[in-house]
Amino acid sequence: MPFANTSILPMLSEAGIGLRLPHIAEVLATRPRAGWLEIHPENFLPNPHAMELLTELSRIYPISVHTVGISVGSAMGIDRLHLSRIGEFADRIDPVFISGHLAWSTRDTEYLNDLLPLPFNKEALELVTTHVKEVQDTLGRPYLVENPSSYVGFHATTMSEVEFLSELVLRTGCRLLADVSNVVVSAHNMNYDPYRYIDSLPADAIAELHLGGYTTERNLLIDTHAAAVADPSWELYKYTLHRIGPRPTLIEWDNDIPSLSKLIAEAEHAEAISSQAVQPEVHCATR
Amino acid sequence: MPLAEIQLLFRDAIVADDSMRILPFLAGGPDPEIGLGIHRRNYESSLVTALLTKFPATVWLAGTRFVTEAARCFVRERPPRVPCIAEYGQEFPQFLSKMSAAERMPYLQEFAEMEWHVGKVAVEIDERCLSREDLSQIDQDALADLVFSTQGGVRYMEASWPIDDLLKLYLTETGPGRYPLEPTDVWIEVRGARGEFHIDRLAPSEFVFRKSISEGSSIGAAAESALEADSAFDPCQAFARLINAGLVTGIKQKGGQP
Repeated sequence: MPFANTSILPMLSEAGIGLRLPHIAEVLATRPRAGWLEIHPENFLPNPHAMELLTELSRIYPISVHTVGISVGSAMGIDRLHLSRIGEFADRIDPVFISGHLAWSTRDTEYLNDLLPLPFNKEALELVTTHVKEVQDTLGRPYLVENPSSYVGFHATTMSEVEFLSELVLRTGCRLLADVSNVVVSAHNMNYDPYRYIDSLPADAIAELHLGGYTTERNLLIDTHAAAVADPSWELYKYTLHRIGPRPTLIEWDNDIPSLSKLIAEAEHAEAISSQAVQPEVHCATR
Repeated sequence: MPLAEIQLLFRDAIVADDSMRILPFLAGGPDPEIGLGIHRRNYESSLVTALLTKFPATVWLAGTRFVTEAARCFVRERPPRVPCIAEYGQEFPQFLSKMSAAERMPYLQEFAEMEWHVGKVAVEIDERCLSREDLSQIDQDALADLVFSTQGGVRYMEASWPIDDLLKLYLTETGPGRYPLEPTDVWIEVRGARGEFHIDRLAPSEFVFRKSISEGSSIGAAAESALEADSAFDPCQAFARLINAGLVTGIKQKGGQP
């Protein structure tokens, strides 16, 4: 699938917000200044009323579809029926992006409702490659794969997460959704340098950035999306923009959801940082 | 170890709390057991929260502690089999009623089932309904054989307790110190759309008639079933009430063909 560079993807200069069900009516009524909206299709597929409102919103805002139910890392395969429903959903609202996670969440017929980790090795790479190709072929669009937030690894891992993602891009032509806060969380928990991680990502493949809040517990960072974006994430975001240039950026907040105005303020802060970003450097920064 | 086997062990660790078999394969982070525990908690807390959010009236009726504990057991014994968590929990009312502490609440399952239906119909949308004028163009001789489609936001349930009255107490935030509840057969229509809902009691024959039509029976077959429930049932008037209520949205041929 020929996805040569991000120039074919829409450049959304204003930051977007993750649209959750409690905010839909308010967004529709007040039409706040937000560059774009990102939604989880799994919240809308069983909710015709919310779908009706989203269809109306899609005439006002660019919409990005961020799936949590396409489990590209599942050894037992992906749910083709669900993938087909996502395809129909996408046809209806014509999203600017469709994205999901480098993770697995299904086993046999069970949906475990969490983004579970993969060992980064040849077997997993081949499996995820096959699934991402199938997703892209079915959707007829590039799929954006998001880096995970990690709490545990595997002895079976034989390559780094960045090596895995880079190879996946080469093999499938997929794009990357770089969740900057996930990098902060994983780097802290798994003891690596988040800045080197950003340096090593294939910059041309990064189509979207995420920022979300995390919480601290027993010296671990937990990707709860239940708080404002933390300073280390903002700092890494600045650095990322410095390295790769501006990218469509989204604020996620899924638990203890704040007022819409607070969410918009976070997005405006991201925009302010983005507008100050200098041109990307050619060479890798060393730290 | 193959990936499929690793994922099976990982699944058992987070769903069935059996982490001993996966731990030798885990590495990285300050302590793999703590990392695994985060996934275990994510699984349980996200689903328990989803269930408590879906059954607030049941929580009000049976108590937060009891329903939360039941939800914890439920997510371990019956993991979701659907990718959309909003669709998870249909079996929870029955599961709840099997808990030993539910013995003193024989109405609990029916009450929770009604709440499940309320949650489903409230997110539906009303479609354009057929009017009397639309129906006047139908050959009256063919009417009995026709099958009609109905609004998506309608559910019918028969209960042996006045669970609709209980729900009204919840909705009006009425908390009597003592509320006498006697077994009473009730036939309930739950209807909703776009965030709103209402609950009506129907006569048994009207209930059978409407339920049969909503399940795809022809008008004639639905009328026959209703007449078995009540020989005085008037199909013409019942059909007129159905149309006036805006419940009929389209006509199919007999056998369910559109």
